[in-house]
Amino acid sequence: MTSQQRQNWLIAVPVIALLLWSVIYPNAAVIAGSFENGLGHWREFLASPADREALRTSIVISVASVFASLAIGVPLAFLLGRFEFPGRRLLRAVATLPAALPPLVGVIAFLFLYGESGVVTRAIQRTFGMAEAPWRLQGVGAIVFVHAYTMYVYVFLFVSAGLERFDATLDEAASGLGANTWQRLRRVTLPLLMPAIAASMLLVFMNALGSFSAPYVFGGGLRVLSTQILASKTNGAMGLAYVETTVLALSAVAGLGLFRWLDRKRKYTLASKGGRARRTIRSRRIQRLTSIFAAIIVVALVLPHLMVVLVSFARDGSWTTQVLPPEYTLENYRRLFSESELWRPIYNSVSMALIATAANLVVCFVAAYLIVFRQFAGRGLLELLVALPWAIPATAIALGLAATFNRNDLATGRILLVGTFWILPLAYFIRDTPLVASAVESSLRQMDASLEDAARGLGASWLMTMRRVILPAARPGLVAGGLLAAVTAVGEFVASVVLYTHSNRPISMEILAQLRALAFGTAAAYSVLLILLVLLMTLAARSFEERLA
Amino acid sequence: MRRAASAAVIAALTILSACSSDNRKVLIVYSPHGKELLEYFEKGFEKAHPDIDVQWVDMGSQEVLERVRAEKPNPQADVWFGAPAETFDRATKENLLQPYKPTWATAIDPEGRDAHDNWYGTYLTPEVIGYNRDAVKAADAPKDWDDLIDPKWKGKIVIRDPIASGTMRAIFGAIMVRSIQKTGEPDAGYEWLRKLDANTREYTLNPTILYQKLGRQEGVVSMWDMPDFATLEQRTKIPIAYVIPTSGTPLLVDGIAIVRGTKHPQEAQEYYEFVTTPEAMIAAADSFLRIPARKDIPLSKLPGWIRDAMAKIKPMPVDREVMAAHLDEWMKYWDANIRNRGRKQ
Repeated sequence: MTSQQRQNWLIAVPVIALLLWSVIYPNAAVIAGSFENGLGHWREFLASPADREALRTSIVISVASVFASLAIGVPLAFLLGRFEFPGRRLLRAVATLPAALPPLVGVIAFLFLYGESGVVTRAIQRTFGMAEAPWRLQGVGAIVFVHAYTMYVYVFLFVSAGLERFDATLDEAASGLGANTWQRLRRVTLPLLMPAIAASMLLVFMNALGSFSAPYVFGGGLRVLSTQILASKTNGAMGLAYVETTVLALSAVAGLGLFRWLDRKRKYTLASKGGRARRTIRSRRIQRLTSIFAAIIVVALVLPHLMVVLVSFARDGSWTTQVLPPEYTLENYRRLFSESELWRPIYNSVSMALIATAANLVVCFVAAYLIVFRQFAGRGLLELLVALPWAIPATAIALGLAATFNRNDLATGRILLVGTFWILPLAYFIRDTPLVASAVESSLRQMDASLEDAARGLGASWLMTMRRVILPAARPGLVAGGLLAAVTAVGEFVASVVLYTHSNRPISMEILAQLRALAFGTAAAYSVLLILLVLLMTLAARSFEERLA
Repeated sequence: MRRAASAAVIAALTILSACSSDNRKVLIVYSPHGKELLEYFEKGFEKAHPDIDVQWVDMGSQEVLERVRAEKPNPQADVWFGAPAETFDRATKENLLQPYKPTWATAIDPEGRDAHDNWYGTYLTPEVIGYNRDAVKAADAPKDWDDLIDPKWKGKIVIRDPIASGTMRAIFGAIMVRSIQKTGEPDAGYEWLRKLDANTREYTLNPTILYQKLGRQEGVVSMWDMPDFATLEQRTKIPIAYVIPTSGTPLLVDGIAIVRGTKHPQEAQEYYEFVTTPEAMIAAADSFLRIPARKDIPLSKLPGWIRDAMAKIKPMPVDREVMAAHLDEWMKYWDANIRNRGRKQ
């Protein structure tokens, strides 16, 4: 073993061990739990029509969410990436806004907007003098609608990035060879964008499969696996809950395999840097139509945020059959600020998000460095470990942690985390690992690998090389990934609802408690605070990045 | 801009770090009773015990059960204040509660407490029929359970999802018990539930959404706990009124217990006693519309609406043993064979 190899192992082993312990071990415990009774719980699952229905509905919703997100995200990315028109900058600015709406808050906003007695629904009903609401926000359709709104952002971001790297000369060459617009789209553009589209489809699929808040609020008796797990847990049927969790995770892994396989069948790479000017729309009529269309999308994207703000000023209980809340007040905010315990959940969420993100930054930086620059036997395993939490729904992660870290037992590597502050930071750390790792990885890949050798060759110590060469190269990824991780952690709901305890009650649980107390106004005011917090974090990260650049 | 952002971050961190706790003993209470009631008792108790800091977490009783169960290896809560008897029975079976015999143990009927002191009843919860009084005239409102299956309410009933709600399970259970008492078979009960399903517009996942849909006329008739409907009627602008079913109604017992493994057994007992004195019971009745379970409180000291209600309520004879033996099986059958079937016809 050369000294280089020894060093690789010295760094790799702790990271791999940590990930095996936090990612693989809890899930193994869940799978083991599903067999605690031999095949009994599995037989129970297969015999239960409710569970079969839940599995089917989960998959239908996920697939439908993928296509709905594609239908919005791809055209929008083309429109913004390829054309210049009045209002383009505004549309670009709000296009990623849905990602800033915390999951539970978004669902509630939709209820107030498009629910049977929501603003939009009632307005249409009044305008056209209908006796009944024109639609009901319920069941599969409602869930897919909410998913499309929040998850199209992934498709949009990935395809936009793909378009930016796109080599315009290829398109021009095809045009010169006599290909018409449709042929160019089908034979040149789409195949080249396929990796970006496939990656974003995968992300939407995973998110939709594990989604909890939309089925929880709009389900109305609809069964999906994530709510079914909670129901089994509530009834004390832990074995069945483990089977359902395993099935949910298996569906996700099957989805991952399918997409990988589809992706492998196409192998195109782009060599050039791309870059292409946006085309200005010439025809006045089409220009006007595009702007109107853009304005409609902007309104639709901003509406849920506006709704949360509006409800935060509405007097609780005063809004019955009117289109808009009839009475406004500062009472909700006054109540929030007069409450001595107000800052507690915010303090909890912020500190847990900071702890998880700091751990993410360290571990993911080391992992990404090893994956990008070093050759060693465990590299494939490391790559798999940092990507795996993508494929494990948050409910499954949470259940695994609860099943594993429920006692102190050093022989089996268990420590007591249930009921302590530390269980949620650990859950956030696991959930955000793929996010931060992939961001750092992509930053490091843009660096020339020979720079490290050059620095060492010039006599720089290992530490010096790290500090002056590698870290600066990783910085954009560290900042972007860290910000995303912190923002996700601060509003996290799905794992928190399973694992929180009195000492670490996060913001999302406080919002849920306010909703339970029928204090929609206070819940909305709290949500506004959460949105502001996310905004503040984004600004802080941006200013930090500017100062370093 | 940059400076403003960093200043804001520093300010926020300063505020947050200022929230440190004092060195009083912390007593943790898990309870579904709501902020107002819990704050009221917190203030009173802390005044009487200046060395104790009461902290409560407000959540549904099913959720408390789940939390206490999950935290069994490392219990966090000291007192569990509020859950239907059925939920406490389940917790008892799972060995989650610490038996305690309160000083007033004899003031409670045997069916209002656990035989081995794991929990004791605090409040009584009658189940009633509620309606939106803007949409339905009092004269037209359903008067009894059987009125709810009249086809004229088709698509107008909205109730909580009975799988997730102890209250709805109790009502459905009472219907089934009635069927068995009359015919010896569950079939008539299932038939009744089938007709109810045909009239039901939606099964909501939590009470808040139920109240909201009822208030905004997505559905106009429902059934639920009387104290909750009374709170809506008297304390909010949501236009809801309720009817006590003429043929009788299930009278649920809501209780209190100490969590097994509590780190402050002495303080937990003191809190337990504090919230169950006759004065505390009367205050809960006056201010928070709860009906005391203790039998040693004279009716004359309770508010008028409780006296009126108690005169009208005919408790439905519900055999807790039959319920415990069969309820899960009935609910399973309902879930698989009745839910959402009626709407399609």
